[in-house]
Amino acid sequence: MTLLGEDRLLAPLRQALRDVPADDADIHVHRRRAAITRYAHSSIHQNALSDETHATVRAIVGKAVGVVTTNSLEPSDLRRAFKDATSLARASRPDDEWPGVAEPEPIPAPSAYHEETAATTADAQAKWIGVVCAAIPKGMRAAGTAQIEVTEDAIANTRDVAAYAPTTMAYLRALVLSETYVGSGYAEDLSMRVDGLHPEGIAARAAEKCALDRDRTQLIPGDYEAVFEELAVAEILRIVSLTGLGGEQVREGRSFMSGRLGEKVTGDRFTLIDDGLDPRTIAIPFDVEGTPRRPVTLVENGVAKGPVYDRMSAKAAGTQSTGHAADRARYAPGGHAANLTMAGGTATPDELIASVNRGILITRFHYTNTPDPRAATMTGTTRDGTFLIEDGKITRSLANVRYTMSALDLFAGIELLGRQRLARDWWSSNGMGSIYCLVPPIKVGRATITGSSPV
Amino acid sequence: MPSRDPRIVDLVSVAGSRGATYADARTVEREHEAVSVKDGAVESVTRTADRGTAFRVIHKGAWGFAATDRTDEAAISDLVNEAFRRAEASASVQKRTVTLASISAQRGEYRTKLGRDPFAVPLAERIDHLRAVDAASVGPNIKTRRSSIAAYRTRKRLVTSEGTDVSQEIVEAGAGLSVLAVKAGRKPASRYDSRLVRQAGWEYVEHLDLVARAGRYRDDAEATVDAPLADERPTTLVFAPEFLALLVHESCGHPTEADRLLEHEVAFAGTTFMWPDDRGKLRYGSRHVSMTADATVPGGMGTFGWDDDGVPAMRTKLVDKGIFVGYLTSRETAGALGVPVAIGSARAEGWQHFPIVRMVNVSLDTGTTPYADLLRGVESGLLMEAPASYSLDDKRQNFHFSTQSARVIRDGQVDGYVRGVAFQSLTPDFWGRCDLVADDWELHGFLSCAKGEPLQLMRVGHGAAHARFRDVPIEVRE
Repeated sequence: MTLLGEDRLLAPLRQALRDVPADDADIHVHRRRAAITRYAHSSIHQNALSDETHATVRAIVGKAVGVVTTNSLEPSDLRRAFKDATSLARASRPDDEWPGVAEPEPIPAPSAYHEETAATTADAQAKWIGVVCAAIPKGMRAAGTAQIEVTEDAIANTRDVAAYAPTTMAYLRALVLSETYVGSGYAEDLSMRVDGLHPEGIAARAAEKCALDRDRTQLIPGDYEAVFEELAVAEILRIVSLTGLGGEQVREGRSFMSGRLGEKVTGDRFTLIDDGLDPRTIAIPFDVEGTPRRPVTLVENGVAKGPVYDRMSAKAAGTQSTGHAADRARYAPGGHAANLTMAGGTATPDELIASVNRGILITRFHYTNTPDPRAATMTGTTRDGTFLIEDGKITRSLANVRYTMSALDLFAGIELLGRQRLARDWWSSNGMGSIYCLVPPIKVGRATITGSSPV
Repeated sequence: MPSRDPRIVDLVSVAGSRGATYADARTVEREHEAVSVKDGAVESVTRTADRGTAFRVIHKGAWGFAATDRTDEAAISDLVNEAFRRAEASASVQKRTVTLASISAQRGEYRTKLGRDPFAVPLAERIDHLRAVDAASVGPNIKTRRSSIAAYRTRKRLVTSEGTDVSQEIVEAGAGLSVLAVKAGRKPASRYDSRLVRQAGWEYVEHLDLVARAGRYRDDAEATVDAPLADERPTTLVFAPEFLALLVHESCGHPTEADRLLEHEVAFAGTTFMWPDDRGKLRYGSRHVSMTADATVPGGMGTFGWDDDGVPAMRTKLVDKGIFVGYLTSRETAGALGVPVAIGSARAEGWQHFPIVRMVNVSLDTGTTPYADLLRGVESGLLMEAPASYSLDDKRQNFHFSTQSARVIRDGQVDGYVRGVAFQSLTPDFWGRCDLVADDWELHGFLSCAKGEPLQLMRVGHGAAHARFRDVPIEVRE
């Protein structure tokens, strides 16, 4: 994808807005170049590049709204989109709760774009994979993904809001499998910058876990001390975000915060903020409605402080949008917290493990879900590195276990925090409910295991 | 049918002249219209459209793929260069070359049979219909009501270097319904279904009888919010077709996808517990359990003329009387396994994605027993009406499901509600407990089966009838 840049991307949007036959209108454009190279059995099996443009226009007539999306930025196509959206609005019914389009406010400059990352070639992606495959010990095989994503977002409306932000994202993961055992080990790097990827380090970390993962035994269900690595914590934060951090969820009584703002909902050591201005979480400084993102303290030392809002949920709550409107085609309305930072600590991985008398180490989860959203309960099975810890040392490899527990109960038991790292949950690593988390590994006093997979 | 842009034929020809051993080009145009009503007011009216071109080559034994939504000559010709660049990069880290199972060249057109084009239904008629549905959802404890109607149209054309040139126009119509009951001191109860979709016209929306359905959902949510907790003990579970459709999807559809055998999905979607040596031997379920993949089912969300490899729609058995017998394959995975093409399952979401192995319509075969007779065999049990949360392991072997609505069965009669019901099991153990399948088979459609990198959301179909499972341990949580 050729980066259009601020002026070239905003120009057709401004031009199209001039002729809108509606009372108000806005347009959000998301352009994306995704280059993904996948490998398995230490061999590349898929290598794809796609350039996409998504333009979403909203036309407002009175308090009725029509929405049309197109993937063309041709002025004639955008004009037609606005005309169609206006027709839809006229044929629709007014929404008395319509909050209006965003008014201009200062928007911070974007800071999550790295030119060298955007210029990464297919050859470079293949070379990273080659390095991983060459670095793992004989008898092991590797699978995974190398990904470069370049995006441009732009918003403009009839109230003179205009903003633009490019981002880059570099990602490399390796799942190392043993030929001899059923074992597997996993590691990944995620960064705004291509120089944040370290193929040799990924291979070494994944291979080390794979080598440990042999002669698995099944764990008896029950409560255990546990160390959750960053990816596992990110998985739990995803559940917390999707079920409890939106303004509409809180208002409708579906969130763990509903009726509990200002109350202690979990332990002192848990603090969570959403900071859409922090480039470390590949953040864009405005939302799809054109509202600047504001840092929001969600939970502070265990106390529920408040959710994030889009314009509609903010109006319903009698407050201001925090700049957390998200694409309605992908996310539920009412505010989406997607740039999470969880307070960390200074414990090293070895110190976390050493603090466990008898418990488990969880590397990551697979296909999690929430049987009780209001309690932020998550269930999911572990994968690619689940180990028994005894007297501060890893002593056995475990068959994957099913974990089922309220995130609030889990975080109430935090005893140690490690250093933060950028991570995504299993779903978000593939673009579904995409949430970036700056997240620490944690040691907790109690994690509830409800079942075990076969060895 | 899609526009007959001659350039995609040229793309394939150019690929041959540059040394590709295989090439295909695919154009896709999509339209989507949706109307939703929340709490009596129009929540959104949206119209979405996109179109683009995908180009794929096998060069030096490896795949390269590129896709764009631009239509200028430079962008189209750059597709070829980018696909070759990526194929050459792939070939630099490759241990086995791509081999496609053979098929004959295909020519023709496929079009969904429609009663009434859902795009032609006036917006005011759709809104009025949803307002009637909304009114039927109102209840004393119903805090949030949402309903929606959607229509989808996909036009696509596939041209391959082996002489295939096929065009398809697929139209789908569907609806969504949800209610949330909230009562002080009680756990909120939701009832929803986002799987009311079919390859059909407006006649399917009318067939759904959304007004009556909204009343049932309201009653279910109102009753569940006040219901007592279930007793935690092994019990007989009767699953409604709506619930079983998801169980079939997760525990049979996914583990029979052949790309999982090749570890193409091992780092994300996972692998399987159903390996090639297990075919014909592995006991997947009881003798009452047979499952079929069928891309020819009328109205199915996994029904088509040809898949995105150009393989014509087929049907094949996956589980036969409880024994695992078959896989879902693409030409690549069939080639790697050394088996002939028995089903075409290579499908891509839109124009921007590489086709991978996806379900078509994967269904539990119907039984012969009337539902009332099946119920009569239950002295004490639960009717599981619709799934809520679900979670599976990376082999699709260890799963956990909870339910939105659980009804009490006493002496063969459905009576009353309980709440808090969930169950976890291992796939063969669960399906091994099935002792009867009823004859009331019905088809369900999913819009968003998630798989692949970048993520592709695929339409799939699943049919099932009520079925009975004995002595299933359940969990009960507040």
